[in-house]
Amino acid sequence: MFFKKYGDFVVGIFYAILGLALIIGAKALPKSKVMEIGPDFMPTLVGVIILVLSIILLIETATRFKAQAAELDASGYKDTSDYKRVLGSLVSAIVYVNILKPIGFIISTLVYLFVQIYILAPDKSRTKKDIISYAIIDVVFTIVVYLLFRYAFKIVLPAGIFALQ
Amino acid sequence: MNALAQLGAAFVSVCQPVSLLFMIAGVAIGIVFGSIPGLSASMAVALMLPLTFTMDSSLGMNVLVAVYIGGISGGLISAILLNMPGTASSIATTFDGYPMAQKGEAMRALGIGIVFSFLGSLFSFFVLSFFAPMLADVALKFTPVENFGICFFALTMVAILSSGNMVKGLLAGLFGLVFCFVGMAPIDGTPRFTFGNQDLLAGFNQLTTLIGIFAVADILISAEEMNAKGVQTIPVTKVKGFGFSMKEFISWMPGALRSAVIGTGIGILPGIGGSTSGMLSYVTAKNMSKHPETFGQGDPEGIVATECANNATIGGAMIPLLVLGIPGDGVTAMMLGGFLIHGLSAGPLLFVKNADVVYGIFAACMVCDLIMLVVEWTCIKGFVQILKVPKHILMPLILVLCAVGAYATNNRVFDVQSIIVFGVVGYIYHKFRLPTTPFVLCFLVGSMTETYLRRGIMSYKSFGAFFTHPIFDFFWFVACGVLLWSVYKEIRASRAKKTEQAA
Repeated sequence: MFFKKYGDFVVGIFYAILGLALIIGAKALPKSKVMEIGPDFMPTLVGVIILVLSIILLIETATRFKAQAAELDASGYKDTSDYKRVLGSLVSAIVYVNILKPIGFIISTLVYLFVQIYILAPDKSRTKKDIISYAIIDVVFTIVVYLLFRYAFKIVLPAGIFALQ
Repeated sequence: MNALAQLGAAFVSVCQPVSLLFMIAGVAIGIVFGSIPGLSASMAVALMLPLTFTMDSSLGMNVLVAVYIGGISGGLISAILLNMPGTASSIATTFDGYPMAQKGEAMRALGIGIVFSFLGSLFSFFVLSFFAPMLADVALKFTPVENFGICFFALTMVAILSSGNMVKGLLAGLFGLVFCFVGMAPIDGTPRFTFGNQDLLAGFNQLTTLIGIFAVADILISAEEMNAKGVQTIPVTKVKGFGFSMKEFISWMPGALRSAVIGTGIGILPGIGGSTSGMLSYVTAKNMSKHPETFGQGDPEGIVATECANNATIGGAMIPLLVLGIPGDGVTAMMLGGFLIHGLSAGPLLFVKNADVVYGIFAACMVCDLIMLVVEWTCIKGFVQILKVPKHILMPLILVLCAVGAYATNNRVFDVQSIIVFGVVGYIYHKFRLPTTPFVLCFLVGSMTETYLRRGIMSYKSFGAFFTHPIFDFFWFVACGVLLWSVYKEIRASRAKKTEQAA
């Protein structure tokens, strides 16, 4: 609901701030001493364009907001997205990429893969039998990927606390 | 005629059983590297190079060519099946390939992609064989000014891509440019927007950005309705042959030819590369099409345009490589190194002194192209088996592969973390209904545009002097025309909508 109703406003405001930030940020950059345009030229230019466009978007949205909101309310639209699964996936992915280096590829992937499959799995597919099959897939995939990269592609993945020689 | 005779002789020597076997192996290895994101064609060439030391020089070069060709075309497989571009060149293949796969047309999409990859590279190799010395002269005429013209032209394509909702489309694209600024500025290396972070100094890697915005965002998006839809597997309709009829094939030919010309042309210019040529050709196809609205929904013509162009770039890129000794990107630089080790002296005298070696390479290119077609086609049935894995299991596996691939590009955990950042960007774009295509186009071309602009100004003092270059003038004014025309069309369309609502 929120995204459909106020989405364009949020986008407009976000970009207006971004444009301003770019212009201000570019001011802090040193000017080039030898050329007409220095490292600050492109950010300033892009910042100005973003600012102008975002203002156009805000005005456009404001002028047709009433009609659109009324239409939306009338249509009885409901957001059925399952944000629990989205948030769970995001959090586990963030944790995964941050423990990859300190803990090592094998252990972190073993844990992450299982958790992520479990989070994504529909409620129906969370029986004991399913979970065992997820665990098997998890272990096999992790080891195959590790060995493939280590020995076939000669890329050493982060070993972490547990190095497989 | 001389060229033809030499090419014929070269074919005979390339087609010996031992060399054919090695080339098949090379193409297969290349395809594996190409299809996994993070493992690039240049990495494949680098890994294979030591193995060719013991071979005799012509066999060694043939194997290198095989790996290169396999590596570039392999990207289409993961792009179509998993929405995860294996190489940056196959980025535009995901736009139509992935929707087709979702509709159950995975085999058809792969068939089309493979055939037109083959045709695109074949076209470029013919150009390479017969016109290489002439075209190399053209490549020398391209200064930073002309290159800036092309980049600017590519950027204005965003306007076409986002027709219908132009303001949002342009904003979506400009955000991509903002990400280009992060890191060291071109020419003088001033750190920009790095906030004191060491890792940001090198900027965001192209491939990790693409992986994030497509593959990672896709996981988040499909998580939304994973429960509601139950266990999902993507259906696969079996097809005969390559999955398209002769009539369709003929109707796609004009588009394919145009894309092959774009691809070869961009390939000749050092430093622009396959990802730009694929995108440019995709946008041109969309713009020329009678039904532009089907692009992005799974239109085979989108695949035809991209795959033809990005593979035609191979032959184009070989022209400055062989004739002038200028490598355009990482993989051609590796190839040049390999060729030098095997006793080829790239440069203007190459065609005079080592004509037999050069035609050997040309023949190897064409044969490898054919091998690529056969290998990939026989394996289609195997590839589509991936889709039998239910989505809630497949997606996490893809994310792990993406993470590993991102790590492999630079051996930095920072790149792995940035795929998540771009995944979130992609998800937010989806939520606010901002198109991701302009973002990708701007991100790919952005830093090039700035580099060439500043390099041009450095050598010609002022922007006004740019207009003394006719090729630049052409691109500049066409780009401005396209921009104005799209804005006019947009305003007219929105006026028409308003009067319709009022009535």
